[in-house]
Amino acid sequence: MRIKTISRSVDEFTRERSQDLQRVFHNFDPSLRPMEKAVEYQRALTAAKLEKIFARPFVGAMDGHRDGISCMAKNPNYLKGIFSASMDGDIRLWDIATRRTVCQFPGHRGAVRGLTVSTDGNVLVSCGTDCNVRLWSVPRPSLEDSDLSSEKSIEPSAVYTCKNALLAVDHQFEGDLFATAGAQLDIWNHNRSQPVQSFTSGSHSVISVRFNPGEPDILATSSGDNHISIYDIRMSSAARKILMRTKTNSIAWNPMEPMNFTAANEDGNCYSFDGRKNEEAKCVHKDHVSAVMDIDFSPTGREFVTGSYDRSVRIFPYNGGHSREIYHTKRMQRVFCVKYSSDATYVISGSDDTNLRLWKAKASEQLGVILPREQKKHEYNEAVKNRYKHLPEIKRIVRHRHLPKPIYKAKAESRAMNDAKRRKDERRKAHSAPGTVVTESHRTRRIIKEVE
Amino acid sequence: MGGLKRKSSSSAKTLAKSKKKKGPHLPNSILKVIANQKRPLNSDEEDDDVIGSDDEHGGDLYEYEEGVPEEESRKNNRYDRHDNYDYELPEDFEDENVESEDDDDGGNTDNDEAEGDDDDDDRHTRMLQSLTGMPSAAFEGESKSKPVLFTEAYPEGEFNPTRDVLEGKNVLTEEDFLAPLEGTPGYQKTSKQIARMRKDTKHVVHAPLPKPQRERLERKAVIGLVDEEFSKWVHLVKKNREAPTVYFNQDVDLGYSTVGAIASEFQPRTEFEKKMASVLNDSEVSEAHRDDGARLLELNEVSMEDHIKDRNHIAKMRSLLFRHELKSKRIKKIKSKTYHRLKNKDLKNSSLGALMDPEMAKEEAMRQEAKRVEERMTLKHKNTGKWAKRMLSRGLNVKYDGTKAAIAEQLQMNANLSRKMNSMRDGSSSDESDDEEELNDGSDEDTPSRLIAKAKEKTLKALEDDEVPNAGLMSLPFMARAMKKKNEEANEEAKRALEEYEEWENSGGENSKKTVNVSGRRVFGATAKVEAPKESRKDSDNFYDDSDGDNDMPGIEDNNIEPVRDNASPARNTITDTEKFDDDVAGNPASKTTFDVAMFASGSWKKMTGSKNTESKKASKKTHAPIPQAQDKKGSRDEESEDSESEAEEMVDGILTSASKETFEVPSQAELINRAFAGDDVLDEFEKDKEEVLNQEVPKPEKPVLVPGWGNWTDIQRKRGISKQMVQKHEAEKKEWEQGLKTRKDARLKHVIISEKVDKKAEKLHTTTLPFPYTSKEVFEHSMRMPIGPEFNPSTIVGELNRPEVVKKTGVIIKPVKFEEVNPNDEVDDEHPRNHQKQKPKKKTSRRQGKVKSK
Repeated sequence: MRIKTISRSVDEFTRERSQDLQRVFHNFDPSLRPMEKAVEYQRALTAAKLEKIFARPFVGAMDGHRDGISCMAKNPNYLKGIFSASMDGDIRLWDIATRRTVCQFPGHRGAVRGLTVSTDGNVLVSCGTDCNVRLWSVPRPSLEDSDLSSEKSIEPSAVYTCKNALLAVDHQFEGDLFATAGAQLDIWNHNRSQPVQSFTSGSHSVISVRFNPGEPDILATSSGDNHISIYDIRMSSAARKILMRTKTNSIAWNPMEPMNFTAANEDGNCYSFDGRKNEEAKCVHKDHVSAVMDIDFSPTGREFVTGSYDRSVRIFPYNGGHSREIYHTKRMQRVFCVKYSSDATYVISGSDDTNLRLWKAKASEQLGVILPREQKKHEYNEAVKNRYKHLPEIKRIVRHRHLPKPIYKAKAESRAMNDAKRRKDERRKAHSAPGTVVTESHRTRRIIKEVE
Repeated sequence: MGGLKRKSSSSAKTLAKSKKKKGPHLPNSILKVIANQKRPLNSDEEDDDVIGSDDEHGGDLYEYEEGVPEEESRKNNRYDRHDNYDYELPEDFEDENVESEDDDDGGNTDNDEAEGDDDDDDRHTRMLQSLTGMPSAAFEGESKSKPVLFTEAYPEGEFNPTRDVLEGKNVLTEEDFLAPLEGTPGYQKTSKQIARMRKDTKHVVHAPLPKPQRERLERKAVIGLVDEEFSKWVHLVKKNREAPTVYFNQDVDLGYSTVGAIASEFQPRTEFEKKMASVLNDSEVSEAHRDDGARLLELNEVSMEDHIKDRNHIAKMRSLLFRHELKSKRIKKIKSKTYHRLKNKDLKNSSLGALMDPEMAKEEAMRQEAKRVEERMTLKHKNTGKWAKRMLSRGLNVKYDGTKAAIAEQLQMNANLSRKMNSMRDGSSSDESDDEEELNDGSDEDTPSRLIAKAKEKTLKALEDDEVPNAGLMSLPFMARAMKKKNEEANEEAKRALEEYEEWENSGGENSKKTVNVSGRRVFGATAKVEAPKESRKDSDNFYDDSDGDNDMPGIEDNNIEPVRDNASPARNTITDTEKFDDDVAGNPASKTTFDVAMFASGSWKKMTGSKNTESKKASKKTHAPIPQAQDKKGSRDEESEDSESEAEEMVDGILTSASKETFEVPSQAELINRAFAGDDVLDEFEKDKEEVLNQEVPKPEKPVLVPGWGNWTDIQRKRGISKQMVQKHEAEKKEWEQGLKTRKDARLKHVIISEKVDKKAEKLHTTTLPFPYTSKEVFEHSMRMPIGPEFNPSTIVGELNRPEVVKKTGVIIKPVKFEEVNPNDEVDDEHPRNHQKQKPKKKTSRRQGKVKSK
């Protein structure tokens, strides 16, 4: 009789440690595994379900303010620090890890409307309705400070006064200029009490300003007369002006694509523009049912987060028409400001209920140290889910979200209205001479014109 | 109209004046006509104004009249715009103007009034001069501007310009200013200067544009610059967007990452570690290291003796190793399985040293001896064990092979142990053993005769030895009697045996003679059996009974006999076979041909006969010399069989040919087809199939039936029959069924089945529409074709396949993109990678660019 045995060399198959994995060999011949597609589909389904099970986005709330949060600023140089200001003039620096106030910056009389930090993280600039611009030196984070629970208060290093109330402020990336928005757009230097440059346009006030992180000399503003303007601070006038049907509350530049920016509009949509072609939006991001109050891009440039007056926070892909995620809690009121953390892992929202809330950017992401095998598994699950995302069952599971009742109802209503309008348009088109009725695309509908 | 124009132009200015005065009295129709003529020159808005008021019409008419000759018109214009300034200088015109515009009264008094006015002005200026002490020139303008002529309803200004201004002609020029100065001393000079300035267009400062226009232009310039700034990013952005994966912060150092880094921080703690550290960190050694290393040799000095010793030792070891290798090679080369088996056994039983070492051997022997003693004492392996007894008592050893084998093994062990005992005994051996040895020795070569002789001798001896012991137990009378009886029986047996031996000796002589004739050739497996060997077998059987274990004998005897018949046997076989067959056939000669035909028809016979014939022919050739008779016989038989064969063929041919000749006719195509598919009715089958499919997909509703026990308990119920409801329901179902059949796609297609079955389980694996980024179904399906799991792909690719779009590190700040020049040549190279060496660094650079954003 002949006995066949598998012979393997000891060297190759001996584990160095008992925890090491046994070596396994596979025959990758596809004929041996005929059901691979079915298997992967099932895995995708499981992954989608698991994602739903593990979706726990809310990390924690930071409370301490005595009035609604009006604005926030993240420290570009320090991941754990975030500044927030409230309508009663209170400014606080928070430690995200412990979710406690590190120190306070008292001084403003009246609502603080704008906060920003210089790129090196040393200077905090705040402005408000009391016509003051205040510069503060940010305390250096140290281990002892975080241990102590005492809240220090800091005096401003400079106070500059203007004629009008200020509504927004933003700092240049890697420079010492910052811009304030009020009745006019002013460009300031840290060391000068008067603006180094100012731009006026029309009789309406400027309500938001944002510097381009890629191109430090370019900034975008939105004003009360429904204009969005792009300025080059080396020039004396605006470069481009877009006139829209509704007001733009906030603007965010894509940090990875310096020509693109997204505007958070009063009509509940966000509009992504290419800075070179403004006659139509590149993408319209719809989902909010009320005005979008603030917007911030992820540092990866692939996503952005929006806070809305409808009491929800949403995360959109930079090129997708609908949101990937919606965050809401029972107690969260109107969201006035949102920020994406500098490592693109967290989202922070500040709302009318005087709280800052910390969310995970990916609801089901596993935090903490992940072993390589775990990581691989997560990646595989993600890849499989992504591959079969178009199939109905997986699509349904992945897209499903519980919505608060008001949002759900408002959505249904707006859908009904839009449908009716669309139907009417279709009929009108059908019953009129061809070419006389032109349906305008969503991307141009809300834009009146680009001002020459 | 032209006539009217001419008329008015030809008339003197006084006339015009009078007309102007009469302006308001002109008939409206004429005014309208005049206005209409002017209209194309004017904008519509102004026309309205014109028609609106009569006063303005008067003005219009006046202007119109004066516009005819160029010089005049210019002057008039001047007059119109600037009122009195110019006209005060030339006296002729002054009066007219004042007359016409200001006063609606008679023109004659005008002159005087004007003079009076002049006087008044002079007086007024003088007064002012005296009051203020300033030169009269300062007040001149003021005083002169006073008598303004208003030809329009509203004063001229930004919002109410005159028509001429709007038309763009009749604008004031330098010449107009210069004309009155002609002849004055500085005139030549100034006119020259003006002419020069006119030629020189470089230094002309144009009027600033209106603000909105200016801003628009400015913005245009800025837009160009900003767009340029943005456009330089396009390459980088495109690259990022197209990359399957974007990496962030891959080069950020998060503390210790290498073993070396950790090791550099190591501090010796235990004594051993400290000792090691002191040696390693010895200043001398480290210094030597730092130098050229020459001093290291000095530190590492070894004495000559040590070196030689070491060398010799190594050489010795090496040679030993070499020899060992050689030996093992030689042993490995030996192919004999028995050798290896024995070797292995030896190795197992006793180590190599045991054989070499006498003491070890002795010990081994002692152990064996002990075992043997034990075996003798206990008879452990002779079915005396509990288990063996049980097995035997129950007959399980017969039933199960395993048990049987185990018991046999035990017995074998017992036998082995006891036999070894014999061999291990010392030189003084008994007679029996001697005899045995002799017998054993002789068995190989001795002839049977000798054996017989020995046996004879033994029996005789036994007969002689019939002595009864005189003393002891055996001397008792009953024992003696029993012994005697036994002896007698034994004697009788011995005598019989002797007789047999004698007989055997006689016959054995003959056999021996035969054995001499044995030829060298041995043939095995011959089937032929002869009677003679059988007899010998019988004899030998008896013989074997007496003396065990000589298996050579029958073989030899077979060999003795076989060769005699060897040559003839094959032929004989075939002959007998054929004879048999022929006999069968011959037994019924009448049926012979039919039989053949039948065989032929079945197709097997021809082959059989053919092979038979050839075989028999071969056989006949072989056996030609020794058996001529048989050959003759065979030959005749062969002829016969051949004849019969040919006959059969002919017959078969005859039948075939006759049949075809009679009924041959070319059949039509349809007929052929009909004939070809005579058996299967395709149409019918298809219809049945279709019905089946229809029934499956649109099942026919069942007729309502009365189920016993359900609604038919009483007579009344039974009489009522099936309830109305059920019938109605059935009707509805039937209608639905019919409708379902009608609406099918293949309802009207008689020869087609279009299945409308929907697999619900498979439905969830399909999308209703093509998903967004895909443009064709094939591409979409292709995207899901190859699996990406670790079970289906080697681990080297799995990572690539599953990599997410964004790879980042949690807890590391991602910086915004930074500009970096993208070399356009890079892309070209990436598209056509020639060789790997070139491609590698490029990949690196592209990766770096990906990362660069994060810096």
